[in-house]
Amino acid sequence: MNNAMSLEHFPWLTTSILFPMLASLLIPFIPDKDGKTVRWYALVVGLIDFAILVYAFYTQYDFSDPGMQLVESYTWVSSLDLKWSVGADGLSMPLILLTGFISTLAILASWPVTLKPKLFYFLMLAMYGGQIGVFAVQDMLLFFLMWELELIPVYLLLSIWGGKKRLYAATKFILYTAGGSLFILICGLAMAFYGDTVSFDMQTLMAKDYPLKFQLLAYGGFLIAYAVKLPIFPLHTWLPDAHGEATAPVHMLLAGILLKMGGYALIRMNVEMLPEAHVYFAPVLIILGIVNIIYAALTSFAQRNLKRKIAYSSISHMGFVLIGIASFTDLGLSGALLQMVSHGLIGASLFFLVGATYDRTHTLILDEMGGVGKKMQKIFAMFTACSLASLALPGMSGFVAELMVFVGFSTSDAYGLPFKVIVVILAAVGVILTPIYLLSMLREIFYGPENKELTSHEALIDAEPREVFIIACLLIPIIGIGFYPKLLTQIYDVKTLAVTARLQDSLVTVAAQQEEKAKPVTAQILQAPTITSIH
Amino acid sequence: MESIYQYAWLIPVLPLAGATILGVGLVAYGKTVNKMRKLSSGLIITLCGLAMAMSFTLLFSQLDGHAPFVQTIEWASAGDFRLTMGYTVDHLTAMMLVIVTTVAFFVMVYTDGYMSHDPGYVRFYAYLSLFSSSMLGLVVSPNLLQVYIFWELVGMCSYLLIGFWYDRKAAAEACQKAFVVNRVGDFGLLLGILALFWSTGSFEFDVMGDRLLALVESGSLSAAMASFFAILVFLGPVAKSAQFPLHVWLPDAMEGPTPISALIHAATMVAAGVFLIARMYPVFEELPSTMTVIAWTGAVTAFIGATTAITQNDIKKGLAYSTMSQLGYMVMAMGVGAYGAGLFHLMTHAYFKAMLFLGSGSVIHGMEAVVGHDPALAQDMRLMGGLRKYMPITAFTFLIGTLAICGIPPFAGFWSKDEILGATFEVSPVLWGIGWLTAGITAFYMFRMYFSTFEGEFRGNDTSIQRELKVAQLQKLGMSLGPGAMNPQELALDSEAHGDDHGHHSHEPHESPWTMTFPLLALAVPSMLIGLVGTPFANYFEAFIHAPSEVIEGVPSEIDWAEFIPMAGSSVGIALIGITLGSLMYLLRKVDAGAIANQIKPLYNFSLNKWYFDEIYDTLFVKPSRRLARQVLEVDIRIVDGVVNLTGFITLVTGEALKYLESGRVQFYALIVFGAVLGLVLVSSVT
Repeated sequence: MNNAMSLEHFPWLTTSILFPMLASLLIPFIPDKDGKTVRWYALVVGLIDFAILVYAFYTQYDFSDPGMQLVESYTWVSSLDLKWSVGADGLSMPLILLTGFISTLAILASWPVTLKPKLFYFLMLAMYGGQIGVFAVQDMLLFFLMWELELIPVYLLLSIWGGKKRLYAATKFILYTAGGSLFILICGLAMAFYGDTVSFDMQTLMAKDYPLKFQLLAYGGFLIAYAVKLPIFPLHTWLPDAHGEATAPVHMLLAGILLKMGGYALIRMNVEMLPEAHVYFAPVLIILGIVNIIYAALTSFAQRNLKRKIAYSSISHMGFVLIGIASFTDLGLSGALLQMVSHGLIGASLFFLVGATYDRTHTLILDEMGGVGKKMQKIFAMFTACSLASLALPGMSGFVAELMVFVGFSTSDAYGLPFKVIVVILAAVGVILTPIYLLSMLREIFYGPENKELTSHEALIDAEPREVFIIACLLIPIIGIGFYPKLLTQIYDVKTLAVTARLQDSLVTVAAQQEEKAKPVTAQILQAPTITSIH
Repeated sequence: MESIYQYAWLIPVLPLAGATILGVGLVAYGKTVNKMRKLSSGLIITLCGLAMAMSFTLLFSQLDGHAPFVQTIEWASAGDFRLTMGYTVDHLTAMMLVIVTTVAFFVMVYTDGYMSHDPGYVRFYAYLSLFSSSMLGLVVSPNLLQVYIFWELVGMCSYLLIGFWYDRKAAAEACQKAFVVNRVGDFGLLLGILALFWSTGSFEFDVMGDRLLALVESGSLSAAMASFFAILVFLGPVAKSAQFPLHVWLPDAMEGPTPISALIHAATMVAAGVFLIARMYPVFEELPSTMTVIAWTGAVTAFIGATTAITQNDIKKGLAYSTMSQLGYMVMAMGVGAYGAGLFHLMTHAYFKAMLFLGSGSVIHGMEAVVGHDPALAQDMRLMGGLRKYMPITAFTFLIGTLAICGIPPFAGFWSKDEILGATFEVSPVLWGIGWLTAGITAFYMFRMYFSTFEGEFRGNDTSIQRELKVAQLQKLGMSLGPGAMNPQELALDSEAHGDDHGHHSHEPHESPWTMTFPLLALAVPSMLIGLVGTPFANYFEAFIHAPSEVIEGVPSEIDWAEFIPMAGSSVGIALIGITLGSLMYLLRKVDAGAIANQIKPLYNFSLNKWYFDEIYDTLFVKPSRRLARQVLEVDIRIVDGVVNLTGFITLVTGEALKYLESGRVQFYALIVFGAVLGLVLVSSVT
């Protein structure tokens, strides 16, 4: 066996999942009195794992192949056909990289954590592996396990290191997510046992041909689970609580990665495995997306707590993911994926900066701030840059993503013209609302004369190099993608093409079915007759 | 010659590089970079100068008859969908490049003097350079989408620069207002772009125009629909070029430092709207109802701007309304089909208005020596007067600018404004009437401004006026805080004591340093002479810049004296009337302006309060949207959260769980689910 062969067969993804988890187990044995050794240990582990991912994708991943790559499969429980199988395609690979990137930065962002550092970094590393696992596993049961596994560190991180209402927030988080994930289990089992073969393998599940009613039920079940995670209105209320209480590093993980699991799973399962149901559910997704965008933007505007404000803005941004997924176009789907990555970067940076601001002002209430820009000029500048990124300023990644969703949806031939017009107009209202709440937030924190009451008892020191470095790391890809989106889109282009092609097929199938029998009432209302493009 | 086109992308990239270097430097080594003032400003000015030199080369090459040049790269793609970005150099671009780089260059030189005492000197140069880069990127854009990108970027720079003095409350509010109002316009622009792309499948200006025309002719798209799309696009220029009803941000934007008022809010960015209309001409031209909307929007704006400018006491606010009014002229010109005339006015206005603003900055700079760094005092014309004695260069250049904007031959403004009015008369005498009347009002308020600033006695040391202004300012502040917030009198005394701490430097204003007077003199030259390239005797401008559909051979020089004399005569006539009135009231003091104002009190207040637009918008949009947001949040907290929690409890756990939630033991629920599954796996793996 030559060297190249061994590299090719090296279990890269398994290593990247298990390495941080195993490394975390060593933490209790590290001699560390002041909590400063263990953070370096965690950071080095994070960096190594990220390097493994980058190296593996750089050498082993072929951008032009839409299929699953770096596949490893080991039988775990043969009687259940449970396999430890992992792989990456255009859908998961950008998110796996994002996970490695954000998690490593989150560890660097945890520097000020002084309470129980060993436990903290143990959980961070455990989560690191678990998150990559969610995106990489190719087995339904394993997916469910990973999904649940990653909840426990989050729960503990919230309930031990959170704010005043941390226990309530953590409990609510776990209730919602675990409650939702029951549906994953039920639907997953149902799909596995459907038909002649019992299998949890995702590729096998995808190839199965389910009847429409089954598809619709399973789709609905999955949708509830992922609606909690993404989140989608009205299952979003755990998020402001959880985000409002989390510390900055946990926050970065929650906003940067955990929300993306919902979007990822929605594409992976609902769209890929149940494409015909997707045709029926797509208008619902679009309406939910619009509600997300406008409703969350309004609540964010009225919110006086900084963390909750940004939390609601995350919900608002996720609305574009829904519209993109339901657009039935390459461009829209590509935009949805881009929006996930982009929000992962932007959300993480904003939440990090909120944490950095809180470290100095010790308040999250906007009315108690004001005029702090004078003393914290670097934080002011970085906060401005990230807020502008968040309001989808061109030249930054958020703009490209929203634009692709907009153009994709408006050129989609799956919807009637009036529906499209209304949706585009409403989604564009978000374009007006976003700057209103983000800029007034900036104004209330940094602008105006100094708040004497605040400055009298808080020393507002400017950002330290570590903080500048973290934001620089996040801003470079944000601006890079904004300037030249192909940097990212070419990674997954073939995959979104393949998914859309499949969806277009099922559009045709469903249309044919509808012609045969009487049209379902719900679909009739929402699915205006398809217009043929006029050029 | 070709190589200059190959490297034309450097024009926007050079200032961007400068901005990046300073920006990174400021964040990484703030203290050191802030000390390297001259080096930083030198770098930025040099880069802008290079861009200017390249722009002139391109202009001369285009004048020589070089073919338009386009270069694009693939920017984003998905499936068979391709988006390209790049740059184009044609006549319009070459002209805009020269306007933007020259004004930016002189403003940058001027800034060195104006901002010399400001701790944010380096940051200001970084922003200026970033803005220049975005603006240059905008004018070289080959398609509508790229225009939109840079359109937003110039808006961002405007936001950053209006809020430059971020510790001032007014600036903080103004920058947000500017951005949000512009976003309202961009909302329309975005929808328009999407609609046009949906119908024509392209972002290219010519292709969009051709295909849209074909669609309308073939009947697959109604003309009303096409016009609606075009009007949506036009909403972008309405916001950016401060047209009614989205003009409210521009006067407030004067909170920014004066150099940017000159560069962004007078000469370049606000003119971007007119530029976009010009670029979109292939689409607009074929849609008569759109053109009518454009023309009327422009005319109404011109009138509103001029009537508001009459009563303003803040020198910069006065100029801001004048800018709005002049932009109205340009938009009106575009709407009546006078493409060349509109852009001609854009060019002349860019030079003379930039000079006027820089002049006002020089005045403020001088006034600050007497009244201190308080914009409420330093910018108020009631405290000025007689400044010509102290600031001769500023006064001289300001007079030139005033004559140019009033349309007195042979200054620049005369030729362009006259061409617009002439073209308007052919289309609609009513529009011409509005434009003509506005010209008279313009002459009146500009000379009111000139006389009360530079002639008569200096009033800057009159403490009773100072005190009066201070109280008025605080009353306004108190009003915005809500009734009974604080007694304004009390505050006034406080801040007066505070002001005395700074100490007044002198009792006489002084002329500004050469870095400020040199740009004034330099800009005075085009303000006087640039109009001569577009005279009706030999309209070189029209030969170079004309609508894409027009074909013009050689230099049009036919002049119809029978048409020119009454047109020019009437506009000069009404300007002279305005000037006469202005001098009677403010120079010779033969007529008491205060008495007239008292006689027509409601009208006076109407104008002084800017037609009450801010109040109306506040009641109609701002307050309701705040209320709505609060209500939605209430609903979210009380109802949505409650209902979902409740459903969750009822279906998932029994009422018992409520007790667990309180004590925080529900985490076991998740552990049970997880444990059960894990157990299932383990058990089956053993068997």
